[in-house]
Amino acid sequence: MIDLPVIQTHRLCKSYGRTDAVRDLSLSVGAGRMTGFLGRNGAGKSTTIKMLTGMIRPTSGEGSVLGERIGDSEENVQLRRRVAYVSEDKRLYGYMTVAQMIRFTSGFYSDWRPDTAEFLRCKYELPADRKVKALSKGMRTKLALLLAIARQPALLILDEPSEGLDPVGVEQLLESLVTQCGEGTAVFFSSHQIEEVERIADQVCIVEQGRLLKDVSLDDIRQCYRRIDLVFPTQPHERDFRLEGVESVQTSGHQMRILASGNVNEVIERGHAFHASEVDVAPVSLREMFLSTIQENSHALV
Amino acid sequence: MLWYKAWLETRSRFLISLLGMVILPCYLVFDENRGPKQYTPDDWYNHVFHNGHGLIVIMWLAAVILLMMGGLLREKANGTAAFTLALPVSRAHQMLVRILSGFGQTMTLAVVPCSAMYLVAITTGRDTPVSHALSHVVLLCAGGLVFFSVAVFSSSVVEGEYTAPAVAFGLLFADIAVLGQGRYQAYSIWKFMLGNEYLDRAPQPLTGIPWPHVAANVLIAVLLLAASIRAIQRREF
Amino acid sequence: MLFKLTASTGQALYVQLTQQIRHATECGILKHGDQLPGIRTLAEELVISPNTVAKAYSELEHEGLLELRHGSGAFINLNRRTRSLMDHVESARRRAAELIEQLREDGLRDDEIRRVFEAELLSTRKAASRR
Repeated sequence: MIDLPVIQTHRLCKSYGRTDAVRDLSLSVGAGRMTGFLGRNGAGKSTTIKMLTGMIRPTSGEGSVLGERIGDSEENVQLRRRVAYVSEDKRLYGYMTVAQMIRFTSGFYSDWRPDTAEFLRCKYELPADRKVKALSKGMRTKLALLLAIARQPALLILDEPSEGLDPVGVEQLLESLVTQCGEGTAVFFSSHQIEEVERIADQVCIVEQGRLLKDVSLDDIRQCYRRIDLVFPTQPHERDFRLEGVESVQTSGHQMRILASGNVNEVIERGHAFHASEVDVAPVSLREMFLSTIQENSHALV
Repeated sequence: MLWYKAWLETRSRFLISLLGMVILPCYLVFDENRGPKQYTPDDWYNHVFHNGHGLIVIMWLAAVILLMMGGLLREKANGTAAFTLALPVSRAHQMLVRILSGFGQTMTLAVVPCSAMYLVAITTGRDTPVSHALSHVVLLCAGGLVFFSVAVFSSSVVEGEYTAPAVAFGLLFADIAVLGQGRYQAYSIWKFMLGNEYLDRAPQPLTGIPWPHVAANVLIAVLLLAASIRAIQRREF
Repeated sequence: MLFKLTASTGQALYVQLTQQIRHATECGILKHGDQLPGIRTLAEELVISPNTVAKAYSELEHEGLLELRHGSGAFINLNRRTRSLMDHVESARRRAAELIEQLREDGLRDDEIRRVFEAELLSTRKAASRR
C-alpha cells in the first residue's frame, strides 16, 4: 500500500465564464481509506471529480491522482488503468447486452477478475443476454458498479453511487465498497446519503460553493464534536462564546446551541460563568455537523 | 475491443444500408431490362446504368451520414461519454478506430452494390464495359471520402444526439441544391461523384477521371479528419 | 459474536468495537482461543470501513488480548498477563462504582460526574504529553 495520498489537489479552480464552479480547492485523500465527499447540489463535487478524471481541464491550480499530474498531456492513459470511475450518469451502451459490456470492458484491463465479475453478475441478478437499454435504472447502476469493481484498482472514484438503488441495492453497494477497501483500494465517493457516508467512511470532505469547508475524520466527529445546549437567565451574546474549537453558535431567546469540535469543557465553564441554568451535552451526527457547517458558511458570507 | 464496440454500435445501420443499396439499384437495372422499352447501347448506359449509379450515390451519401453518427459528442448527449472517457485509451485512438471502422464500412457500401449492379447488368447481355463501372466506383469513393470526412467532422463538433447528422444532411442538401445547380458546379462534390462530365463513351474512361481533383478531395478529407480528431481532443466533457 | 455499533453515540466505531470485544471476554462470551473473523470479513459483515476494524484489532493486539495470526485470523488470548490486566479493569470498575455512588450522594448529576472524569483524563493527558 502506498503512503502517498491517492488524490491531491492544490488550489484547484474551474470557472465557466464568470461563475466559479470550483475555487481554490486543496484536497488530500489518503491511500487505502474510504473518503466521503459531501456537498449540496451544485457545490462543485461532480466538477472536481471530472477534473480528476480528465474530462475537464482546470482553469488554474494543480492536482495529482496516484502521483500523476492531471491535465498534463491530453490524457493520463496509464493512470486510467489504475483508477476505476463510476460517473453520476452510470449510463452504458444501450446496444450492448450485459455479457457484451462485461466482455468489452474486460478487454481493457489486465487486472480484470472474471470470477469476481461472474459472481457479482449473479449476486446483482443481471441477466447476461439482456440489452442495457432494457435494464432498469437500479440494474444499470449495479452493472456500472460491477464493471468498476471486478478489477483491482488502486483508487475507486464514485459520483453518487447509491442514486437509483433500493435499500437492498444500497446495502450491496456498501458491502462491495467495504470489500474493495479491504483489498487495498482507496475509495473516494460523493454522496447525498449522509447516513451511508457516516457508516462506512473513514474521512469526510465537505465542499460548498466550490470551496473545501471541512476535511475531518469520522472518529474525530464522534469522539470530539459535541452539541452543547445552554439556557441562560438573560439573553446571551454570541461573541462571548466564540472560543477556540467552537464551530457554530445559534441563539434563540435565552437558549444557545453551540457546536464545538473541541474544548468542550471550556465552553461549559464559560456557560457556568454566565450563569447558565441548563447545560446539555450531546454527540453530533454527521448530518448535524454537515448542515451546521453549510449554515455557518452562508452566515460568514453575509 | 474498440473495434468490437464500433461494430456492435453500427451493425444494424450498416447491414440495412447494404441490403437496401444492393437490392434497389439491382432491381432498377433488372426491371428496366425486362421492360418493353427498346434501348440503344448509348441509351442503356445513359438512362439505366448511369441512373443506377446515381441511385447508389444518393443512398451512399445518406448511409454514410447515418453510419458516422456517433462518437464522443453523441455519447455526451446520451450520457455514456463518462464511461468511454474513463477507458485507458486516448481520445485520438478512439477516434481513429471509429474512423477506420466507418471507412471500411463505407467502402464496402460503395464496392458491393456497384459490383452487384454491374453483375446484374452483364446478365442482360447489354454492353456495359467494366471500365465504366470501375470509374464510377473511383469517383464515388474519391468524392465520397470528402463527405465521409464532413460527416465525421460534423459529429466531432456539433453537440446533440441527432443534430450532427442533421447538419451533415443540411450541407449535403446545400451541395446538391445550391452548388450543384449553379455556376459553381465544378466545386460540387455531388456532381463530381455522379461523374457526368468525366464519363462518356470514350474507350478508356479511366483516363477521363480528373486525378488531380481526386487527389485534392483526398487531401481535404484527410485534413478534415485530422481536424475532427483535434476537436475531440480539446473538448471538455 | 454479535456486535451492536451505533453511528452516533459519541464514541468512535473502533472504540465501540474494542469495548464490546473486551466486554465479551469479561463475560465469558468469548473464551481463550476463540477465533474472531478476519479484518476484511468482519468489516463486510458489519458494513463498516476495514480501517476501523483494523484499528480496533490493532489496539487489542497491543493490549495482548488479541493475537493476529497472518492468514489464519484473530484469536482471543486470555493468558495470565491479559487476565491480570482484566482483573485490574475489574477492580477499577468496582472502585469507580463506589466513587460514583459517593459523588451522587453529594448531589452531582450523572453528566456532571462524567465531565469531571473526562476533564481529569484530559488534563492528565496534557500534563503527560508536556513532560
